[in-house]
This record gives sequence, structure tokens and C-alpha cells, in this order.
Amino acid sequence: MGLAKYVVRRIIYMIPLVIGISIVSFFVMYAAGDPIQIATMGNPSITEAQRQFLRNYYGLNDPIPVQYLRWLDHFIHGDFGMSLYGGKPVNQIIGSLFWETSKLQLFSIILAFIIAIPAGVYSAVKQRSVTDYSVTSVSIFGISMPVFWFGIVLILIFSYHLGLLPSAGAHGAPSLWPVFGIRDPFLDELAHLILPATVLIFAGLAWHVRLLRAGMLEVLRQDYIMAARASGISERKILYKYALKNAITPLITLLGLEIGLMIGGAPVTEFVFSWPGLGRAYVTAVSKLDFPLIMGITMIITIMVLIANLITDLAYAWIDPKVRLE
Amino acid sequence: MNILEVEKLKTYFFTEAGVVKALDDISFSIPKGSTLGLVGESGSGKTVTAQSVLRIVPKPGKIVGGSIFFEGEDLLPKKEGEMRKFRGKKISLIFQDPTSSLNPLFTIGEQLGDIVVQHMKLKKSEAKEWVIKTLKLAKLPDPENAIHSYPHQFSGGMKQRICIARALLLSPKLLFADEPTTNLDVTIQAQIIALLKDLQRDLGMTLVMITHDMGIVADMCKWVVVLYAGNVMEIGPIDKIFEEPHPYTEALLKAIPRLDQTKELVFIPGNIPNLIDPPSGCKFHPRCQYAKEICKEKIPSLEDIGDGHFVSCHRWKELNNRG
Ligand SMILES: Nc1ncnc2c1ncn2[C@@H]1O[C@H](COP(=O)(O)OP(=O)(O)OP(=O)(O)O)[C@@H](O)[C@H]1O
Ligand code: SF4
Ligand SMILES: [Mg+2]
Repeated sequence: MGLAKYVVRRIIYMIPLVIGISIVSFFVMYAAGDPIQIATMGNPSITEAQRQFLRNYYGLNDPIPVQYLRWLDHFIHGDFGMSLYGGKPVNQIIGSLFWETSKLQLFSIILAFIIAIPAGVYSAVKQRSVTDYSVTSVSIFGISMPVFWFGIVLILIFSYHLGLLPSAGAHGAPSLWPVFGIRDPFLDELAHLILPATVLIFAGLAWHVRLLRAGMLEVLRQDYIMAARASGISERKILYKYALKNAITPLITLLGLEIGLMIGGAPVTEFVFSWPGLGRAYVTAVSKLDFPLIMGITMIITIMVLIANLITDLAYAWIDPKVRLE
Repeated sequence: MNILEVEKLKTYFFTEAGVVKALDDISFSIPKGSTLGLVGESGSGKTVTAQSVLRIVPKPGKIVGGSIFFEGEDLLPKKEGEMRKFRGKKISLIFQDPTSSLNPLFTIGEQLGDIVVQHMKLKKSEAKEWVIKTLKLAKLPDPENAIHSYPHQFSGGMKQRICIARALLLSPKLLFADEPTTNLDVTIQAQIIALLKDLQRDLGMTLVMITHDMGIVADMCKWVVVLYAGNVMEIGPIDKIFEEPHPYTEALLKAIPRLDQTKELVFIPGNIPNLIDPPSGCKFHPRCQYAKEICKEKIPSLEDIGDGHFVSCHRWKELNNRG
């Protein structure tokens, strides 16, 4: 089947999935509680009549299927409605936070992937050596360390004591963060990225390295690797061309999952570094039952997971000639 | 003149269960331009011998002693980078299983072309022509299209032709063919054997046929080296070996597989010994019909009995009325 035709067909198949997930999320969310009750809990002067007024205003008194269809109608037109807090449109909230979260996450995920390749290959080749054990220990350390604790330690060292890097936010405000005395918008963004990205890379690196190491150990035992060696091919080419392509599929799967889930993936890091991101907004929205915002972010995550999944499948077919796109 | 001289070679595998003495002090040589059969049951050390000569013994294996002279040069002290210039160029190896020895994710042209580029420093387009030329030599049909195909698109016999071409790319002087027909259909086996015979003759290569099939040996080889449990049991010209064989070779000869069961392994009563803790004395004694007390106690040495025939057996002379 042609590539374009395959992609179009996969995208068409996504539509019922997206709608199905939206129905389930919608009903589960409504079972969770009454947002007006939560919003007005701390304010004893609000009367029940005023609450009813708010519920009517937001359409929360209509039967749930009616509310869902209204939501769906807006969704199809690209509108997620108004947040119950702050009176801003959900589209606008997501729009401003989406980029900040993607920037931090893509930077960390791709960097972890790039670091994992030599680390995983090397620790497989030097299996059971000091290097292998060091790579393993460092990566296990990364997995097991609580994110908030590691984040706070980094802030204490690099921001508080050394004053090298900013501790909060994605941008310097009111003025740009000086990097070696230079105030430049790009360097400012980079300086803000470093600490939160370090936390995320450490948390994810171990999985990448372990997966690649296991894959490489398996592949390096294969006859075709020995055959390449018997033909005089250089070791570097054997490892990074002939073995890596055979060992990398699990890593591509993980990469696809991480990119698909990246939007909601790092709320703790976003809290620790006061990162203006969607992960943090999502957690806040859920705790306040801000229905339109919850639905908006849920749908963005759903669509991203589905698209990442499609791209992963295309990558498999690109790597392995035996995989057919059907 | 000998193209290869192996002296007191020891290759051990340092496994968790113990040290596997896969090659335990083996010596033999290969006359230039000849076809030599390297025979022995499964696990006797045939593949490890070829791997040792190329110095590609996989972990946890290691060559722990001896020397390997190729055209008079000792290969063992060579640096890895120097050794690489021998692999695939002067000495080649055809693997036991063509399917598992081709990388599934790269086209034939890519895999074979890289070898040419590695040794010859040619441009990609020149390497491509070179690969097509060699595939033709191995009688692969339609090589111009084959180079754009992946291994899974070929049958077993075609894959073996590709593997033969891979081994021949740089016209090696010495070619090891490691049971090149065991994984193929009977009809294809004969074609591959015929191809190897032709190539050996036309290219003037020295060919080492690794096999446990004495029928193939009788058909192709002038010289035979018989391995058992990491030891050389017998070396000699083919007629001597058939006339007055070592007791182990005799058992192998009795077990020449019939055409209708070529996939069956050679069957000799008893099991191949454990190479971590091998039998004392002659390693074959627990299975040898002629074994006596001395066989358990003393390790026999490889003795020259004339005409290029060597045997390692306490009782051979007695059994052949040469005492
Ligand atoms: N990677 C390895 N790890 C441990 N032991 C090994 C390894 N490769 C080979 N050996 C041991 O070395 C011995 C010789 O193996 P080898 O593969 O040379 O046998 P072979 O004569 O080629 O047999 P076959 O006819 O089955 O191919 C065997 O006993 C085997 O257990
Ligand atoms: S030495 Fe003894 S056991 Fe070994 S082959 Fe000769 S007769 Fe048999
Ligand atoms: Mg073998």
C-alpha cells in the first residue's frame, strides 16, 4: 500500500477513537463531582440559589448527554469552551502553555535518546566492566531519585549557592538571564531549560540505556554480526550501523510513547521549577474540576498519543523491510 | 607448501559453569591450493577452529595458546587493525546457516558493498559493480536486482549463494566453508557442493570443507583432519583415512548418512564428552570399541605413520598389524 494512502487511512481510523475517548472522559469527569460546589466551598457567603445560577450559566444542569453533544459540536469547530476559572478561553490557555511544555519535553527526550545511544552501545560492548557498572549505576540512580527532591537539590546548588542558573520559569522576567554576562533571548531560554531538563533526562535516561543495552547484547551474539566481523568490517561500523539498527526498535517504541505522553508527562518537574506548562495546568484543572480545561488537555494528549503511535509504526516499517504497512 | 600451519592451538570458553576447552592443543597444516576436510561430530570444535584462525572467537571464548601461521606469518601477535586486513580479504568464512548470517535489515548490495569498500577504498558505484560481478560468479540469478533486495526475499539456496559471494568478494586465498549445506534441501545441497568445487578449481583457492558428512569429504577432499572433543584424532590423505582409519574415524565412516536422511546428525553410540571435565587419557575411550586400560590412563600423542598420515591412538599400530 502507498505511504500516503496508509497515513490517510490511519488518520480516518483515529476519528472514532478520539470520539470514543472523549465520551468516556466526559462521563468519568462528571461522575467525579460538582465543580461549582468545589469552586465555592471556601466562601460561606454564597447561597444555594447563587450556585444554581452558576450551574445554569455554565449549562451544568442539562442532562449529561446534552452537555456532551454541545461540547462535541464546539470541539468539531475547534473550540474547547471557556475555563470555569479566570474566564479565559481554553484554547488560549492551552495555546500559551503547549509550546513551553513541548519545548522542555522534546529537548529532554531527544537529548536522553542521543545520550543513550553511545551509553547503551558502550555498556553492552563492555559488558560487566567498570564502565558498564558505572553507566548502570548512574542510570538507576536517575530512575530511583524522587524528581522533586533532585529538582530542589539542583536549585539549591546551581541557583541559590552558585547563582549560575535560574530556578524558576521558562523566561527571564522582567529582564533576560545573563549567560556569561550576555543577555540574549535564546541563551536566556536555554539557561532556563537546563535545570528542569537535567531532572527529566536523568529520570528517563536509565530506561533508554537499559533497553538499548539489552537489545545490543542480544544482537551482538547474532551470526550476521560475526559474519560482518569475519569480512573485515570495522568495529565502529559493526556497532553503529549493523548492530544498532537491529537493536533500536524498543528504543523507538519508548521514544514514541514519551513523545505521545509528553504533554501531561512532567507535572512534578513543572511544579518544582514553576514552569509555565500544560502538565501543571492539567493537575490544577483536575483538582478544581475545571471541566472544559480537563477535556481540552485530555483531547490534546489523546491526539498526540495517536499521532506518535502512527509515526512509530512508520518508523518500524522504515527500519525493517519485513514490516508491511497494512 | 602449506598455506596454513596451526600449532598447539588452545581456544577456551570461560563460562560460568567452568572452562570449556573447545580446542585443546590442536596442530595441523593445510597444503596450498588443496581441498581439506575438517570433520568431527557436533561440538568437536570445527567452527571454533575457523573462528580461531580468523581471530573472531566470540566471548567468553579466548585463544589461550599456540600459533597460527598464514603464509609463514604468525597471526596471533597481530594487532586488531592489522588482523582486519586478513579477514574477508585473504581468509574468508562461509557460515553454517545462510539465513542467520545475513543481516535482515540491510540490502544485499549494502552488506556486500561495505566489505569491498572496507578493503579496497573504492567508490560506492565501483563497489556495486564489483558486488554484481561476484554474485554472477556465485551463479546468483539476476544480480542487478538482487543487490536492491533484502535477505528474506531469497530462498535458502539463493542465500547460500549470496554468502558464498560475500566470502569470495576479495578472492581470498583460504576459504573455510562451515557445513555450507546442512541447512539446505537435498537437491540444493548438490548444487552448492558443485559450485564450491568449481570455484575452488577456477580460482585456485585453498578450501577447508567443514562437515560431519564423510560422503562430502570422500567426494571433495584430498586431505582430512578429524577432530574429536577439541583434539586432533587423525590427519591424512583421503585414501589412507578410508583404508586404515583411526577408531573414531572408523565409527564416523560407518555412520555415513544415506541420501534420504542427510539432515540426521552422524550417530555414534554414546555422547560427546563434557569439555569442562573431559575423560582422562584418550578422550574417545568411553565410546571406543577398542579401548583398553592404557586408553584411560595415558593421553595418546599424534604420531607420524608415513605418507602424511598421522594418528592419535595407542592401539592403531596393533590393530593395523604395524606393531
Ligand atoms: N559461544 C560459546 N560459548 C561457550 N561454549 C562454546 C561457544 N561456542 C562454542 N562453544 C563450545 O565449543 C565446543 C566446540 O564448538 P563448535 O561450535 O566448534 O562445534 P562444531 O564442531 O562446529 O559443531 P557443529 O557440528 O554442531 O557445528 C562445543 O563444545 C561448544 O560447547
Ligand atoms: S587410544 Fe584407545 S580409546 Fe582412543 S581411539 Fe585408540 S583405542 Fe580407542
Ligand atoms: Mg559448527
